[in-house]
Amino acid sequence: MVLVIRLTRRALLLVALLLPVACAPGTGAPAPTPAPTTAAFPARVVDFQGRDVVVAGAPQRIVSIGPSNTEFLFALGVGDRVVGTDDFSDEPAAARAAEKVGGVKVNLEKVLALRPDLVVTVQISDGTIERLAAASLTVLVVDPQGLSDVARSAILLGRAVGADGERLARDVTRRLDAVREKTKALATRPRVFHEVDATDPAKPFTVGPGSFVHDLIELAGGTNVAARAASPYPQLSAEELVRSDPEVIVLADADYGVTPEQVAARPGWGATSAVRNKRVVPVSANLVSRPGPRVAEAAELLARTFHPTAFR
Amino acid sequence: MTKVAALAALAVALALSVVVAVAAGAVPLAPGDVVRALLGGGDAGASAIVRELRLPRVLAAALVGGALAVAGALLQGLLRNPLADPYVTGTAAGAALGAVVAIAAFGGALLSAPLAFAGALVAALLVWRIARVGGRVTTLTVLLAGVVLTSFAGAVVTLLLVANDRLALRLRAVVDVLVGGVTARGATELAVAALVVATGVGWALVLARRLDAYAFGEETAATLGVDTERTTASVLGATALLTGAAVALAGMVAFVGLVVPHVLRGVVGASHRALVAACFLGGAAALVLADLGARTVLAPVELPVGVVTGLVGAPFFLSLLARTARRSA
Repeated sequence: MVLVIRLTRRALLLVALLLPVACAPGTGAPAPTPAPTTAAFPARVVDFQGRDVVVAGAPQRIVSIGPSNTEFLFALGVGDRVVGTDDFSDEPAAARAAEKVGGVKVNLEKVLALRPDLVVTVQISDGTIERLAAASLTVLVVDPQGLSDVARSAILLGRAVGADGERLARDVTRRLDAVREKTKALATRPRVFHEVDATDPAKPFTVGPGSFVHDLIELAGGTNVAARAASPYPQLSAEELVRSDPEVIVLADADYGVTPEQVAARPGWGATSAVRNKRVVPVSANLVSRPGPRVAEAAELLARTFHPTAFR
Repeated sequence: MTKVAALAALAVALALSVVVAVAAGAVPLAPGDVVRALLGGGDAGASAIVRELRLPRVLAAALVGGALAVAGALLQGLLRNPLADPYVTGTAAGAALGAVVAIAAFGGALLSAPLAFAGALVAALLVWRIARVGGRVTTLTVLLAGVVLTSFAGAVVTLLLVANDRLALRLRAVVDVLVGGVTARGATELAVAALVVATGVGWALVLARRLDAYAFGEETAATLGVDTERTTASVLGATALLTGAAVALAGMVAFVGLVVPHVLRGVVGASHRALVAACFLGGAAALVLADLGARTVLAPVELPVGVVTGLVGAPFFLSLLARTARRSA
């Protein structure tokens, strides 16, 4: 029994680690590629953990941990300098060729063997970041959570690698603003349930305030049924879900094989408007669940899903 | 209290706990709405909540609790040891390994029931083969083999978790198996489970008389004309059936199989026929209430029911150990 408990703690730890990094595979086109510019080096920046980071010269060998970071680096036009990524970085397609340094658990030896002059990583709470820094590597923590963090990430990464992050940030912000302007004028805001994981359909995981997907849903003209949840990735009981009666169900777990038919067959779910009106929509998690340079694309997709006539 | 009165009281307790558990939940519903939903009326949302979510979950909890308590009663009778239950003997660990393998290999819940049963059966047979020395089963060996088997199954689960990417992405399903949690089930799944549990409980009732002969030891039972080897095999088979069904439905829910038979033996006496019946009713009521607690204590956060049974069961197990130790000192 002791062993089972130990195992469970281990499994929970893995889950905690998985959540931020491993939110999915798929396809999609990267944002246009601004050319790298000559920037001032050494560059001094403050990262998402409040650490002062000095990048001595334009990085030539970058290890990127976190799919959103990899997408940013390619969108900034420095994809050819990315020598290693985490196992989940699959966008753009060129990123798949880079050396893989681990998924849930980063393999420190592999990172060191790549001799990176910059490691960009999401927040990892198992000591990996401290150990990389202790090995005299330049480590930059970039971990966008809310939608407003996306522009900040683009600018920060741009300065660290010597590329035009401001322009990328402006592009993304402009497209997001365009969607927001259009949905503001609409009369209806359908109730939306965004499914992150429903391995146990009695307690599905969804998105709440504090997550960028929640921001995206509201921006795209939907009303998140979990808008009053206490955490960014809350678990809703099936009872609450049925009671909240979503008009649209977004399946961000479709890449794991979840289908609208399965949703309709779950106990209780058949009573929701979304199932009755066949508005259960599979989406690619690697587009919708990543706070990367393609968030505007994700916002446009969600807006089309919620308001098919207004966004044709 | 006579046995009949005790059984009647347990049946009433089970009925009451089912009523309370169906009436309460994450979404507050007026009693009138619950009744209307049960009778097939009311609005679609309330009807779905009561008929498709709450009732199946409560029934699943009852089946799991009843099955585990009966399995515990059988093992305690066979081993003449109040500390025996499907967890101590490794049967539950085998079942959990089977369920995890089902998730790893096939990704779905479809095969988790048969594989959980297979795992339970293999574990039970293994323990029996190891513990059978010179034609008789030694309790100490059963318990030791159970501990070792549990560690082994745990190691295999960890290995699968680390080595299997697909499983890592299905961690939550694995966690559900390991910590134990009752969830709403479809009618078919529930009907199959009910059939399996009914078979197991029926088998237990048939074995009850033979287990009574074990009260004074296996040798006495043998001189009374009981085929002890066959009885042991049958008890382990019935235990595997009940444990496999319970683990497939709700994962590893500890302590119900340990505590319930122990408490009820004090109420209905040592006769196994009454004990098995009492354990089914009492175990079912206990887990229905534990699951109600799991759903409501920290609402809207839902606790795995294994946490609730562990919080209540572990202190009980320890006090039991302390009392046993003092008596033998």
